[in-house]
Amino acid sequence: MRHMLSAAVLAAVCAAPVAAEEFKWAGTTDPQTMDPHAVNSAPVLGFLNNVYEGLVRRGKDMSIEPALATSWEPIGDGEGWRFHLREGVTFHDGSTFDAEDVLFSYERASNEVSDTRSWFAPVSEVKVVDSKTVDIMTSAPNPIFPDSIANWMIVDKGWAEANNAALPDKENGNYATLNANGTGAFMVTEREPDLRTQLKPFDGWWDEATHNITVAEFTPIQNSATAVAALLSGEVDMINPVPIQDAERLQGQDGVQVIQGIEARVIMLGFAQEADVLKYGADAGKPNPFQDARVREAVSKAVNVDAILKTIMRGNAEPASQLVSPAMRGYSAANMDRPTYDPEGAKALLAEAGYADGFAFGLKCPNNRYLNDEAVCQAVTAMLAKVGINAELDAMPVSNYWPELRADNFDMYLLGWSPGTFDAEHPIRFLAHTPNSEKKLGSWNFGGYSNAKIDEMLPMIQSEIDDGKRQMMLDESAAILQAETAYVPMYVQPLVWGARDNVSLTQRPDNFFILRWVNVQ
Amino acid sequence: MLTYVLKRVLQSALVLLVVGLVAFSMFQFVGDPIDNMLGQERTDADIARLRTELGLDQPFPVQYYKFLENAVQGDFGVSYRQGRPVAEILVERAPATLELAAVSGFLAISIGIGLGVFTAIRKDGFLANAIMSISLIGVSLPTFLIGILLIYLFSVELGWLPAFGRGDVVHIGWWSTGLLTATGLKAIILPAITLGLYQMTLIMRLVRSEMLEVLRQDYVRFARARGLKDRTVNFRHALKNTLVPVITVTGLQLGSIIAFAIITETVFQWPGVGLLFINAVQFVDIPVMAAYLMLISVMFVGINLIVDLLYFAIDPRLRTDGKGAH
Repeated sequence: MRHMLSAAVLAAVCAAPVAAEEFKWAGTTDPQTMDPHAVNSAPVLGFLNNVYEGLVRRGKDMSIEPALATSWEPIGDGEGWRFHLREGVTFHDGSTFDAEDVLFSYERASNEVSDTRSWFAPVSEVKVVDSKTVDIMTSAPNPIFPDSIANWMIVDKGWAEANNAALPDKENGNYATLNANGTGAFMVTEREPDLRTQLKPFDGWWDEATHNITVAEFTPIQNSATAVAALLSGEVDMINPVPIQDAERLQGQDGVQVIQGIEARVIMLGFAQEADVLKYGADAGKPNPFQDARVREAVSKAVNVDAILKTIMRGNAEPASQLVSPAMRGYSAANMDRPTYDPEGAKALLAEAGYADGFAFGLKCPNNRYLNDEAVCQAVTAMLAKVGINAELDAMPVSNYWPELRADNFDMYLLGWSPGTFDAEHPIRFLAHTPNSEKKLGSWNFGGYSNAKIDEMLPMIQSEIDDGKRQMMLDESAAILQAETAYVPMYVQPLVWGARDNVSLTQRPDNFFILRWVNVQ
Repeated sequence: MLTYVLKRVLQSALVLLVVGLVAFSMFQFVGDPIDNMLGQERTDADIARLRTELGLDQPFPVQYYKFLENAVQGDFGVSYRQGRPVAEILVERAPATLELAAVSGFLAISIGIGLGVFTAIRKDGFLANAIMSISLIGVSLPTFLIGILLIYLFSVELGWLPAFGRGDVVHIGWWSTGLLTATGLKAIILPAITLGLYQMTLIMRLVRSEMLEVLRQDYVRFARARGLKDRTVNFRHALKNTLVPVITVTGLQLGSIIAFAIITETVFQWPGVGLLFINAVQFVDIPVMAAYLMLISVMFVGINLIVDLLYFAIDPRLRTDGKGAH
């Protein structure tokens, strides 16, 4: 291997200014499908962002930039958006990209069987104006529509139809589950599910390649200790994630670097607010104290977030004040202060609410979903006990966790939320709006928080074209959610990647690993 | 004779059915696959639709019955995670596990017997005592830890052997083998040792104590008195008689080598059925879990059935069909 590498380096030095390199990386989960419309999950979309492209894409700082569309503008007073498509783009199999592919990909991605369907809820119609122009009509003005489709990837109509993959098939799989044909910088050249996926640069890519990879190979390694060992021994060039407890040790090692940042995910505590009685603990059956905003505020004062970050997160995370992190569009700078740790204040609030002697309740927590989630819940339990309220902690694997939350089996719970659109409207739609399955709103608002003003503002936020007015409403929503302590946002989850010293790469807060930004020296 | 065989086969089938039933009743507690299959923007309607489509809205005996109905026709369903037929995935993964089991079984038997004989002959020697003490590690340390220790020593510190994976494989028909390539051979060393260490120490200790027992027997003394060479006495006469219990234990251990490959495969990211099963449990991939558990139980039941039938062939007392006294 060392011979090969030095030979490659030598050849590169002699032959061309751009060195050619083989790059190997490992992650915990294998992308379960190569179909960009079958599964809406970060491992799949992150991986396929290297292979497929959308009309727009996100840059290194998460900003929206042109991809398959060169420009776009609103139609009329917000009836929709017109996208001008890029000329001279071809798919990996050589066929030309045009408006028909966009229409086809819309129909494919918005179909009932597609997991990406929700992105197109605001869309009423997609019209092909000519082969390089597409109109996407929305039922109401939608200022952030271009932001919301950065992960909507365009599939070749001819290819999909010829291979019987006109629709994604999540249950039984089809040709597109194992094969890919995008317009992106890399082509899938070999795919063995769960074992390895090999990518090679696409020579016909429309954009200028800035990476120097000749072959890239992804291997899932589930066991984090094994992944760290593979990085240290040089068998892989990059791993994601590095366990938090190993980050410091890795940093001290020769030949490797640790890349840290914060993810878009905010970790928070949620409450049963609709339930009339407590369900767990010694006080089960008694009236639910969390219906009282003062009790929720007491919880927010009783939890010492700084201590959690220092000990459990080893200083790698940032405290959060609202449902989105500062990196998101629509973050409310006006509400950036989070409650300070104040156990005496918490006790006073509890006394005021009539719980001077405290009470007992149940806290539900996942143990394999977020970084150190169970440890965080244990710390929260201990901190709450100090102000006299006793949580009975029940931690479980995530596969059991969501069904429990859906069945309302909790008094308080832990939740992490990463807004798919990178916009502050997203958590309002999913976490703060009163649950309404018909309108598909509040679908993750397990506790049933409800505020008429929030419900009233959400459609206005969604359709407000003017950025200033929109931000005012987002500020107001954030202020309401804070004042009522709808949730207790605690911190923004950290991102920790490890790489060999000779690798330069870019870490984006959505935890997508973009190969075209990788350079190997 | 026929009644006995028939009875054993029927009993085995019954065991399989019960294992399946227990497995399916357990799946209810592993969690809900729906959340793993749908993204965070799913609606309640999506959840209900998928649940009906997968038949998860049915009570578990019904799910089990449907699984059996399809399984007897050779259809094990489609993996929830990969969207591919389970049978196809299992066939793809089986060679990795079987090769690993075979190599570690071979290592365990050859090294185990060799060391067992050595420690028995040099009962009070320093080296023999050292080996006996070290072998305690093999029995007492968990596989997971041994694997990680080996990785840190041989991959990270010395850089001799790979930390994960199977290396390059060669495809021969549907079988894939890593034993014909240099990277494949290097890759199998650490996992094979990790997996086989427990069995190795077990066999070693078994051989040692049996051997010590045998060496005390009269016929060994007479052999020595006849002036036979030490080597002939030890390996021709003594070892032969120690092997009977060793073979029984080894046979039974073979099943557990394959079943316990799960941990070793996870540590070394070895692409076998054990790793597949762990993935399936995490994802609540019910078709894969069901097929794997059935496969493993078929294997165990099969081994036991063969052992029983062999006893029947060897031991004439069993042929009385229970009429005579034992």
